[in-house]
Parts: sequence; structure tokens; C-alpha cells
Amino acid sequence: MSETNGQPIVVDMKNIVKRFGTVEALRGIDFEVRQGEVHALMGDNGAGKSTLIKVLTGMYPPTGGEIYLDGRRVHIQSPADARALGIETVYQDLALIPLMSIWRNFFLGRELFTSFGPVKWLHRKEMREQCRESLRDIGIEIRSAEEKVGKLSGGERQSIAIGRAIHFGAKLLILDEPTSALSVAETSKVLTYIENAKASGLPVIFITHNVNHIYQVSDSYTIIRQGHKVGTYQRGELSQKDIADLITGARES
Amino acid sequence: MDNDALYKRILRLFAESPIAGPLVTLIFIFVLFLLFVPNFASWRTVSGIVTAVAISGFVTIGITILMISGEFDLSVAPMIAMSGYLYGTISTGEDSVVVSTLSYFGLPVQGGSIPLAIFFALLIPSMMGSINGLLLIATNVPSFIVTLGTRQIYRGVVWIVAGGVLFQTVQKLPLYEVFNGRFDLVNNLLEKANFRTAMLWLLAMAIVFQLILVRTRFGNHIFAIGGSKDAARAQGVRVRRTKVMAFVISGLMAGAAGIVSFSQFRSVRVAEQAGIELTAIAASVIGGTLLTGGYGSVWGALIGILMISVLRSGVILLKIPFIPADNFPAVVGVTIIAAVIFNNYLRSRSTS
Repeated sequence: MSETNGQPIVVDMKNIVKRFGTVEALRGIDFEVRQGEVHALMGDNGAGKSTLIKVLTGMYPPTGGEIYLDGRRVHIQSPADARALGIETVYQDLALIPLMSIWRNFFLGRELFTSFGPVKWLHRKEMREQCRESLRDIGIEIRSAEEKVGKLSGGERQSIAIGRAIHFGAKLLILDEPTSALSVAETSKVLTYIENAKASGLPVIFITHNVNHIYQVSDSYTIIRQGHKVGTYQRGELSQKDIADLITGARES
Repeated sequence: MDNDALYKRILRLFAESPIAGPLVTLIFIFVLFLLFVPNFASWRTVSGIVTAVAISGFVTIGITILMISGEFDLSVAPMIAMSGYLYGTISTGEDSVVVSTLSYFGLPVQGGSIPLAIFFALLIPSMMGSINGLLLIATNVPSFIVTLGTRQIYRGVVWIVAGGVLFQTVQKLPLYEVFNGRFDLVNNLLEKANFRTAMLWLLAMAIVFQLILVRTRFGNHIFAIGGSKDAARAQGVRVRRTKVMAFVISGLMAGAAGIVSFSQFRSVRVAEQAGIELTAIAASVIGGTLLTGGYGSVWGALIGILMISVLRSGVILLKIPFIPADNFPAVVGVTIIAAVIFNNYLRSRSTS
């Protein structure tokens, strides 16, 4: 169908099926992502993009199919499993907890602590400082790590969620519609972070239904429709009109 | 300019700290009563206010932690009764279902056992709490409903254990003095004061649980699952386990309340402390805890329960027509609504 960048495959999902009761959300999808690419996952609302990603991140264990990471078969049953494998995800709707401070969000589930028996005493100062520093390294300035996330703008929140994923993510960064609720200026900022992540060699999966974004940042893209894969294409292979037609099903591949 | 900056800093402090608003309100009401309510400014009244919060204070700490995690517990009253029965019968060795059952299993409870009394009075309510939590995660029925059910079931269990009757003792064990005796060290210094030792235990518990909430990983996860269960899960927080633990803490605190209550009154009945769950939820909310979870503090809980007690003493001393002690819940109702409006106002002022 298309040539690749010749890099090794990082993620290989084979014949993934996901059923919710009688509803078949994914009907045998193959999906692969290579080292150092930004791979966009496209499709209309309800096409199965988010479901496919949630299978990869352990939110929904798959009904059928196999997942390989760096050629090794993996069984991802929970978000904790995915994180242990180095898969970091920024969800559109559940990235951060508004009532908690920036540093508590940043280190949530990965707190630095000393154990005294069952008591896990937090290193608050250290986490506050590390949070500030690593966000600054990625180009995100915050006023104070103590600030509640709920007081930040949508763009700032998304930046911190991406910054956190980059800070902890060893292998793969997944962004689930990271720009859907953002203004134009905030969106371009978020796209810059994606470029930065790619430049550092991190493969990125980017879920979107905005055709423009594919042209701005992604190297390749996979289109899915009604739980089936339509195809995987390289940047520039199709026109925006073609892409839109494939997404809606106005044209077959 | 400097004044303006100071004003902003103070507002920011209010925004960051969940207790600033409730604390200011409590002090304001207290000072107002000191100045204008006859007989309020006496050690007798002040010690009465403090003593009245001891038992409900323990429960409020537990329920506040649970509410921060996003859940409710309406079943604490029978847990207090259960704790009271276990503590009372085992400490005295009184002939009862509890004592005969335990000695059947070979435990040395004949003639009374102090360590076993404390152990079972804390263990059994904690287990009742864990049953609430396990039922919640197994069925996904909201905790409001689960604990509404277990509240009646637990009351039935207590009825069986107690044989349906009041348990009381004339024995005055030194143990009772330790947990909730007269605090004469202080009372002798202050005129007409009637403080009791439970306030020290309550203070110790408050410090311990506040530290657990803000300084430990477990506390961090309590806030996280209350703030957003799914976001917490996505970050690898073990939501179900943390929830069950929060229910265990609520049960443990109810157990502590049972010990303190029996130590003071040396009696316990099946319907002991009935209705305390709503007072505790009210105190939590007055103290700044969000009903929807994810926000609150142990100090706020104590301030909330003290506020209710201060109002109660003030209102009774004022001798307002139609509001004697029996009709006091009407005042609590007004306070809850006023406190929530005031807290919301402060929060919106300080965030903008």
C-alpha cells in the first residue's frame, strides 16, 4: 500500500477485536507504529479510534487479537501494565484531576516516597522541584507547582499532561484528541510539543479527526471506519479531500 | 500597593487551604457568642462544647476521609453500638453472648480482658467497614445505597449480639478513665471546667489522619480517586483497593467512637448514636469538604463539628422560643446551607 520509513516496528497490534456485549466496536484491526514517527489515527466519531487506543493502554482488555511491543508479545490487562511497558497516554477527557495541585497530578501513581512499614511517606519538596524542572525542560513554564490544575486553561492542562507523559514515557506516547477542546493558539503550542517529542526519538500515536493536523505533524496515518481499518498511508500520499472521503466512507480505499 | 498585594496573598491562602473559610467563621461565631450570649463566656460552656464533639469527632474524621474519596457511609451508628458492646462486655467479662463465644474459642476473656476489649472493639467495626467497601466494588451500587442497606443489617446484627437489650455496668475500670474520664489536671485549674480526656485522643487521631492524608501516598490516592476515579485509574492508582481502605478507616473511627462513648457513659444500647452519620456529613460539609469528593481536610472536619457544637450551646443559652435543645437540628440545617454558600463564595472570589 505504501513505503515505510524503514525504521523498526515498535507497536504491532494484530487482528484486534473488542466487543461490548453484543456491540462489536473493533472487528479485527491491524495497526503498527514505527520508531521515530508521528502516526495519526483517524476516523469519525464512534469509528473505534479511542477503543483501539484504550485496548493498547489497558483501559479495555481486548476480546481477541495480539499485541507485540518491540517484537515481543505482551498482555496488557490494566493501565498499570501499559505504564510498566513504557506506554504513556494523554486522554482528552481524563488527563488530570482539577482539584489537585500540578505536582500531585504530575507524580500521581508514581510518587517518590520512603517506606516506613506500610506508611509511604511522600518526598513533597523533591517532587515539587522535579515537576517544575522537567516541565521547564520541555518548554512549559508554570507559576507554582502548588497551583491547582482546575485554575489552569485547557491548553496549560494539556501541556502539563503531555509534559508528564514525555517525562515518564520511555517507549511510546499516545495522545487521544489532545487538541479537541483548545483554541487555535493553544493547539499550535501542543503541536510543537508533539514535534519536540518526535525529535527526541519518541514514537507518537496521535488520535484526531482534524485533517489539517495530519499535514502539520504526522508522518503517516491510519484511517479506521466502523471498527475496520481502511488503510495506512504516508504523508502526502492522499489529498485532504481523499482523506475526508475515506473517513466518512464516501469512497472505498 | 502593599496592602493590595497582602490582600491578594490572603485571598490566595483561602483558595489553597480548605479550612481557612470555616475556621474564620468558627472564630467569628465563637467571639460573637462570647460577647453577646449570657453565660456563654464560662469554662463550663466551653468545656461542654469540647466534650460534646469527642464522640462525633471520631466519626466525622472517618466520614470526611471517605467523602474525600468520593463515597458515603450511613452505617456508622450500628458500628459504634457494636464497638460499645464488644468493649463493654469484654473489658468487664460480663456474662454475655460475646464473652461466652470468645471463651468458647479459648480466648481469656473470663473476668475481663482489656487488650482484647480494645482489639475487638476496633477490629469488628473495621471489618464491617471493609464489607461496605467490598460490596460497593463488587456490585457498583452507589455507597449511599449500600450503606443504607448495611446500616439496617448491622443494626440487626448488633441486636442479636446484644440480645436486644441495653448493656450497662457499674464497674468503673481505670481503662475508662484513660479513654474518656474527667480531665482533672485541667479542670482543677479552670473554674467549673468539665473537660474529658477523649479530647486528647481525638486531637491525636486528627493529627495522625491529617498527616496520612497530605503526606502519604495513600492520602494522595484518596484525593485522586475522589477528584476523578477514571483519571486516577489511568495513572495506575489502585482505585478499588483505596476505596475499601477508606471504608475500613470509617469503620475504625466508628470503633474508636464506641470505645470513647462507652468509657464515658458505661452503657450502650442497640440504637446508640442513631443519626450521627448525618451530623458527621453535615460537619464535613461545613468544614469545607466537597460532597462530590476530591477536596477537604481532617481539620475542616473538626472545625465543622465544633461549629455545630458552638451553635448548639449558644442557641440553647439564648433561650430562643421554639428552639430548645430538641429542636436544634433546624439550626444545623440552616448552618449547612449557609456554610456551603459561604465556602463557595470564598472559593470563587479567591480563584478569579
